[in-house]
Amino acid sequence: MKKISFTLNGELRQVDVAPNEILLEVLRYKIGVKSPKCGCDTGDCGACTVILNGKAVRSCLIFAIEINGQEIVTLEGLSKDGLTPLQKALLDRNAFQCGYCAPGMILSATCLMSGNPHPSEEEIKESIAGNLCRCTGYQPVIDAISEVTKKH
Amino acid sequence: MAIPFEFGYEKPATIADALHLLDKWGRNARILAGGTDLANELKQGFRVPELLVDIKGLDALEKIKVLDDALHIGALVTFDMVRNSQLVRDHAYILYEAAGLVASSGVRNRATVVGNICSAVACMDSAAPLLVHDAVVHTASLEGEREVPVQDWFVDNRKTLVGEKEMVSHVSIPLPKIKHAGAYQKMMRYTGEDLAAANVGVLLMEDGACRVAFGSVGPIPRRSPEIELFFEKNGVNARHIDQAKDMIGGIISPITDVRATKEYRMHMTKVMFVRAMHAAVERLKKQKI
Amino acid sequence: MEELKFVGHPAVRIDGKEKVTGAAVYTDDLEFGPDLLYAEIVEGPHAHAMIRAIDASEAMKVPGVICVVTGKDFPYNFGLYMKDRFIFAQDRVRFFGEQIAAVVARTPQAAKKAARLVQVNYSPLPKVVSPLEALREGADLIHPDLKHYEHVPWFFPKPDTNIAHHRKVRKGNVEQGFAEADYILEDTYEVPRYAHCAIEYHAAVAKYDHSGRLTVWASSQSPHTQRNLFAIALAPLGIRHNDVRVIAPHVGGGFGSKAGVTMEIIAAAIATKVKGHPVKVLWNREREFYNTYQRLGVVAKLKIGVKSDGRITALHHSLFWDAGAYVEYGANVVNAVGLSAIGPYRVDNASIDSYCIYTNLPPGGPYRGFGYSEFLFGLESHMERMAKHLGIDPVEMRRRNAIRAGDITAYGAKMNPNGLHQAIDAVAKEIKWHETPSPSGPDMAIGKGFSLFWKAPAMPPNTSSSCFLKFNEDASINLLVSGMDLGQGFLTVMAQIAAEILSVPISKIRTENPDTDRNPYEWQTVASHVTWGCGNAVKRAALDAREQIFSLAARTHDVPKDLLYLEDEVVKCKRRPGFALPLKDFVIHGIQMEDGTFKGGPIMGRGVFMPEYASTKADPETSQGGHPNVHYTVGAAAAIIEIDKQTGRVQVKKVVEAVDCGKAINPSLVKGQITGGILQGISTVLYEEMKFDHRGKMLNPNFTDYKIPTALDIPDEVIPLIIEVPEPDGPYGARGMGEHTMLPVAPMIANAIEDALGIRMKSMPITAEKICLAMTGLKKQQEK
Repeated sequence: MKKISFTLNGELRQVDVAPNEILLEVLRYKIGVKSPKCGCDTGDCGACTVILNGKAVRSCLIFAIEINGQEIVTLEGLSKDGLTPLQKALLDRNAFQCGYCAPGMILSATCLMSGNPHPSEEEIKESIAGNLCRCTGYQPVIDAISEVTKKH
Repeated sequence: MAIPFEFGYEKPATIADALHLLDKWGRNARILAGGTDLANELKQGFRVPELLVDIKGLDALEKIKVLDDALHIGALVTFDMVRNSQLVRDHAYILYEAAGLVASSGVRNRATVVGNICSAVACMDSAAPLLVHDAVVHTASLEGEREVPVQDWFVDNRKTLVGEKEMVSHVSIPLPKIKHAGAYQKMMRYTGEDLAAANVGVLLMEDGACRVAFGSVGPIPRRSPEIELFFEKNGVNARHIDQAKDMIGGIISPITDVRATKEYRMHMTKVMFVRAMHAAVERLKKQKI
Repeated sequence: MEELKFVGHPAVRIDGKEKVTGAAVYTDDLEFGPDLLYAEIVEGPHAHAMIRAIDASEAMKVPGVICVVTGKDFPYNFGLYMKDRFIFAQDRVRFFGEQIAAVVARTPQAAKKAARLVQVNYSPLPKVVSPLEALREGADLIHPDLKHYEHVPWFFPKPDTNIAHHRKVRKGNVEQGFAEADYILEDTYEVPRYAHCAIEYHAAVAKYDHSGRLTVWASSQSPHTQRNLFAIALAPLGIRHNDVRVIAPHVGGGFGSKAGVTMEIIAAAIATKVKGHPVKVLWNREREFYNTYQRLGVVAKLKIGVKSDGRITALHHSLFWDAGAYVEYGANVVNAVGLSAIGPYRVDNASIDSYCIYTNLPPGGPYRGFGYSEFLFGLESHMERMAKHLGIDPVEMRRRNAIRAGDITAYGAKMNPNGLHQAIDAVAKEIKWHETPSPSGPDMAIGKGFSLFWKAPAMPPNTSSSCFLKFNEDASINLLVSGMDLGQGFLTVMAQIAAEILSVPISKIRTENPDTDRNPYEWQTVASHVTWGCGNAVKRAALDAREQIFSLAARTHDVPKDLLYLEDEVVKCKRRPGFALPLKDFVIHGIQMEDGTFKGGPIMGRGVFMPEYASTKADPETSQGGHPNVHYTVGAAAAIIEIDKQTGRVQVKKVVEAVDCGKAINPSLVKGQITGGILQGISTVLYEEMKFDHRGKMLNPNFTDYKIPTALDIPDEVIPLIIEVPEPDGPYGARGMGEHTMLPVAPMIANAIEDALGIRMKSMPITAEKICLAMTGLKKQQEK
């Protein structure tokens, strides 16, 4: 076990981890942050997406010990001050159904928007192409992202 | 999700420290860069190391730079960094193109080019671009540094020339001295993320030289001296591209697996070859320098 | 007609905020404290084998291991319609990956480590991996005890064969019908197995406490059915229904996979061996593929006779279903299709044989569409082919045969009111059926395809739904139902119905996924029946509450009850403009009289719905006589696709789909179902493909090689159309439509492919590879 410290949603956290512990399991089962989900455990589905140092990554493919000294944002961190415009647009459009892919999808789109405030439809699709959704057919999610990024 | 095996973890601060660790642990150590392949391997329990050597503390390896007429891509350079590098776009456009087709953005933000050629899974995306660019793999160990042409690097599926106590520090791509243009084609089951069932990389030089590499149609990716020689003798034009396409049947020997039949792989390799060649010809025409 | 304020409006889903903020809690998000135990499954590496011995001694040595359980610990069988399934394999393994044992440990790591150390000794048996093989004389019997299994009375297993059920339908005079035909087309269509691919795994946590209380938290479409099956299976332990409590948090997608009972019973059973400790069983992606349910595969032999004007004279449909190792639920897919395999057409002479066949492959079971996607692939391909042969426009061909209200179904009941003809016209118009779009390049071919669909809920005739409606002090409402919101928006729709009757805004209605102890009975959230069935129960509960409100107001204020109405949470009177009794003033505390006494008390509505006209009592040789299906939902769809002739890759340019949902209680959610269902359908026809090796082992149980679409793989354009021909017994005329949206997609795409390339694909999936190889094959034929 090694004590690691990292910033999680703006708060400095410390936790003891073994080298074989995966970031997703540490976030969910040791720290209790539950918005990152497990949907494949192989990096294919994107449900476990978190933002690491500003980039969307797969927390199922990262060893928890690697994030010592790094900065992580999960959906819980995004919603601290109420809904973001993207979350509001998704809500208004009934964009999600079962909602299981939503945390990962929203974080991927948020990352896209932070580096590219007015993405094309292709860029929007590309940014969430690693987040599998079985319910929605994606179009309502794409429409919500388009709506928010066309404004302003 | 849980990995039922235990192992140690070290994050060396210097390359020398990393090499000492590798020297001590040898094949019982695994290098951890992006970790996207490694985490999956460990979950499946394929190869269980005793120690992970996390090289992400070695900032020097996180650079894309031009040095001594070559483009250097450090061992910590991710596919996302490649996608955002003007240097790569300028000097090895085909690598930029291939990088955009690696998995999904969430994986590209973590997975590295060097990791890709070290995992050396037959369907890797970086091999064909590096092969047509005559890239060189640079390794380091306590015994010194080695330079291995990427053409010699791959030994078998998931097997390379890296030594037990060695690590790859970077790959270098010699800057072509004349106008050139490349193209990468990847056979996927749909537009979204997929592993290549076959891939083709071509690089066309202003002087008519052409380099061609095929991936995922054999245990290791390979250049095609046969086709390159054919173009060298005959020049590149639409008719010759078609003739060269017909040579492919005698050059590659794809297999049938869960992703595709050998027949479709063969057919698609030919289609992709033609499309890549035409794209490269068009791109070369538009090149300014 | 009275204007509706809530029903028919695109309300924002009531669970939406939870879901966009990550607050929504799914089963594996629940906390159980440090005493939680973890179970890991030991799987059998044979498709068919006898278990000789199990040695867990090495596994027990791993630190942290509590116990190892095997089939011997639970000699009980269970099943929804037929009790042919076991908690753990008993003496026989019937599919590759079947659960043989489980290791229970303090940590997931220890459980996983120990599970690898359990030694099992097998004697392999010959295996049967295709339905036609299983029917052969002398084929090995997968269930030698079939004749002893309990099953519902409308199943007809054939003892000492691999046929678990044969649904036989005979209507009219088929021989004569074919004799009258001007053209007969006979062909065989194949549809393989598919996986649901809900993104959330199956998960169950169970605790059997020292008082004998069994609580199961599960990702579930069927909390009450699970309670029922757990109680029945575990009855030998002295467990009764009221000892079992199933709590169902949010579900990360179901599509049928979380209906009935599969892995949840493993958690329930293990809990009885580790009394006092909660124990978690969490599936993984691989097991999602091969050890829950798979969609059944089918080989369908279809023969249709038509007059030269396109009218159908006779139809014969033989369906041989690859139902897998256990068919406790899947046999009802076979049954449902048997009853409906004439499709949405008027067919006077029909014979259908639908065979449920055991194979040594993973258990087949419910999957969105419940068999209809499978038979419609052949039927709607056939209709297109016959139209083209006769020189009739394929849309016109369908118009001439499409079923109308009052027509007689295959089993002799009357077809319900429906908007099939409106749907056909609306789709043809929107897709511009008579225009020919041009391809985008020389390598490209463009094509159009059309398809109809229908589907009835497949459920026992005594399926019921119920609702409790409780007012709170501020006139907010707790609506207690036990349907599950799987993402389709069930809870929102229920709130809309209650809001409409009680004039209470949706924001003041709380309705959540159920706890079987607190919420009243619901059969299951399957069959696209809950909007209709549970919607009726909610409506009745709301009417019951309203009746109590009006009665109280009438007797306390001396106004005639029939003049009272509700508006904006206030009781008003049609004849007394100033009369206004705000609900919040009395729905809990009652109404005070002049003498200081109070009348009334908490307003609580109750509503129950059961379709009392349904019956499965029919002649087993013909299926005539009963009323097994309550109604059908119908619709039509069309697509324009473009194909890269060199690679075989298909891009779907445009899809139009019209579905007659009777009444769209929430049009936004209806459109969401259409958009999502179309993509799931596209995925089954173009991308998804299960591969098995010679051992019966699935080779691609992962998203790396079982491809479901990403955001880059969607149609360029989807146009959802809503048709509303009310269902007489539906709430506000509504009937279900969730599953239906994917039904027309596979044949529609196959028809478009033929239109583009002249190649008829008769087996699914139709991958780029298959199209490409068929094209090159065709080229070769032409060269000869």
